[in-house]
Amino acid sequence: MMLEGKIALVTGGRGGIGRAVVKRLMREGATVYAADLTENGSLQTHDDDGSQFIKLDVTSEDDAITAFKTVEQQHSCLHILVNAAGIEIEKTIEQTTLEEWNQSFAVNVTGTFLTSKHSLPLLRAAATQGATSSIINFGSYDGFIADPGLAAYCATKGAVHALTRAMACDHGPEGIRVNAICPGYVDTPMLQSFFKGDGSGGQGGNIESLQQAVRDVHPMRTYGTPDDIANLVNWLASDEARYASGQLWVLDGGLSAQVQQMRL
Amino acid sequence: MKLNGKLALVTGGSQGIGRGIVEAFIQQGAQVITCGRYTEPKDLPAACNYIQLDVSDPAAVNRFAADIHNLDILVNNAGVQVEKNTVESTDEDWDQVMGANARGVFNMCRAFIPNMTEGGSIINIGSISGNIADPSMALYNASKAFVHGLTRSIAVDHGPAIRCNAICPGWIETGMLEAGFATADNPQTAMHDALQRHPVRRFGKPEDIASMAVWLASSDASFATGQLFTIDGGMTAASPLNPGLF
Ligand SMILES: NC(=O)c1ccc[n+]([C@@H]2O[C@H](COP(=O)([O-])OP(=O)(O)OC[C@H]3O[C@@H](n4cnc5c(N)ncnc54)[C@H](O)[C@@H]3O)[C@@H](O)[C@H]2O)c1
Repeated sequence: MMLEGKIALVTGGRGGIGRAVVKRLMREGATVYAADLTENGSLQTHDDDGSQFIKLDVTSEDDAITAFKTVEQQHSCLHILVNAAGIEIEKTIEQTTLEEWNQSFAVNVTGTFLTSKHSLPLLRAAATQGATSSIINFGSYDGFIADPGLAAYCATKGAVHALTRAMACDHGPEGIRVNAICPGYVDTPMLQSFFKGDGSGGQGGNIESLQQAVRDVHPMRTYGTPDDIANLVNWLASDEARYASGQLWVLDGGLSAQVQQMRL
Repeated sequence: MKLNGKLALVTGGSQGIGRGIVEAFIQQGAQVITCGRYTEPKDLPAACNYIQLDVSDPAAVNRFAADIHNLDILVNNAGVQVEKNTVESTDEDWDQVMGANARGVFNMCRAFIPNMTEGGSIINIGSISGNIADPSMALYNASKAFVHGLTRSIAVDHGPAIRCNAICPGWIETGMLEAGFATADNPQTAMHDALQRHPVRRFGKPEDIASMAVWLASSDASFATGQLFTIDGGMTAASPLNPGLF
């Protein structure tokens, strides 16, 4: 077990990726808080996984303060913060309303800011106990190159990448490591919604063939699973990664290593 | 005219991108020399001097450099490609691709930098494939990554006297591109598909690369050095997945 005795909080902890992360961290011996808008997050149901649920809207500073107060009362420190809450508006800038734009930044960027800011005292407390503590943000491969019809999302992820490096510089001296994972396509409700969306060209039509085409364009001929992402979260959270900070970890089955795959 | 009175040398200027650069440089007032492995092509502009030279041959490059003084602009454009993966590639393929694309650029830079004027500009033609991989182009991709690395080294080592940048073209319309479509199962669909992956909805032309070369060669770019400039109609800004196409 790699995370025995560690305390972790995962925002979006009941989402597709968040759930897998929560489970993995628990399996490695951590005590885990799953923070999300609702008990079910982005899925229909939730089976008890032993995590402690905290109701948290990452866009609310009060919620963030309250959540970390709870952690403080119970454990007095936090080793691992995973910022996995996120939303995706599937539109071009022309179609995007100002409210949708602001909401995208509120959740994906401001959310990361607020939870990181208010967890710092607890992360510092964990770091003084001889180990490093670790913040793991969620960027995206879309923060580097654009998918059509995802303008606000791409922009928020670029912001998360820059924020990750900035936080790593500022808080490294305090023993806090900050990294971002930039997934390619991971099979979660977010991806299924993208398959059905306008930008995808699937238009609710032949999802099967679209999914196959998406697999085929990956050098590894598959898209990712939430467990693939959780494996990297686990490593970045662990003491094995004590020299890893300020980096953007692209995990995408080789997708972004290649030039456009023309169908010749 | 942006390059009035400048002396420029462009390798591989007989056709394609190199030819586009030769013509643009002449138009901007430069005196242009180009070179190639074969005898002088008949349709080369009269204002351009042609020398037969294999850039992969260090001795030949050194002999040639001894005759040329006060060079202002060097464009390393000559290159070859072999469409094979690592396991398929032979020693001859290595010599050919690395010889022209990597060693050739090195030979030219080593021989000419001492002869270049203060404020001179070297422009290497790299490729988007030096950053991300085209399938079955192993040696080619690697040779272009070499060009990118050497570009930065020259900028760092030989500034402020010389600026050195690379242009990374995407899909440029030359004979090679058309041949590619001709062998597709359905050339029409292949062409449509490829165009959709370009936000500007066209392929590049040699002129597109040439106008960037003019800029990099001119004093307008006097603060630009050590960089890679991609010109690809937006192709590499878009996800290779581009689901709108499926
Ligand atoms: N799935 C992919 O292919 C993919 C690719 C790249 C990046 N990502 C990123 O990974 C992270 C997790 O995505 P996912 O695929 O699990 O998506 P998901 O939609 O399954 O889960 C997101 C979770 O965040 C929660 N959430 C949304 N707004 C919130 C708020 N204001 N406060 C608290 N929680 C909130 C949702 O309830 C949901 O449970 C996101 O940041 C996403 O952008 C996912």
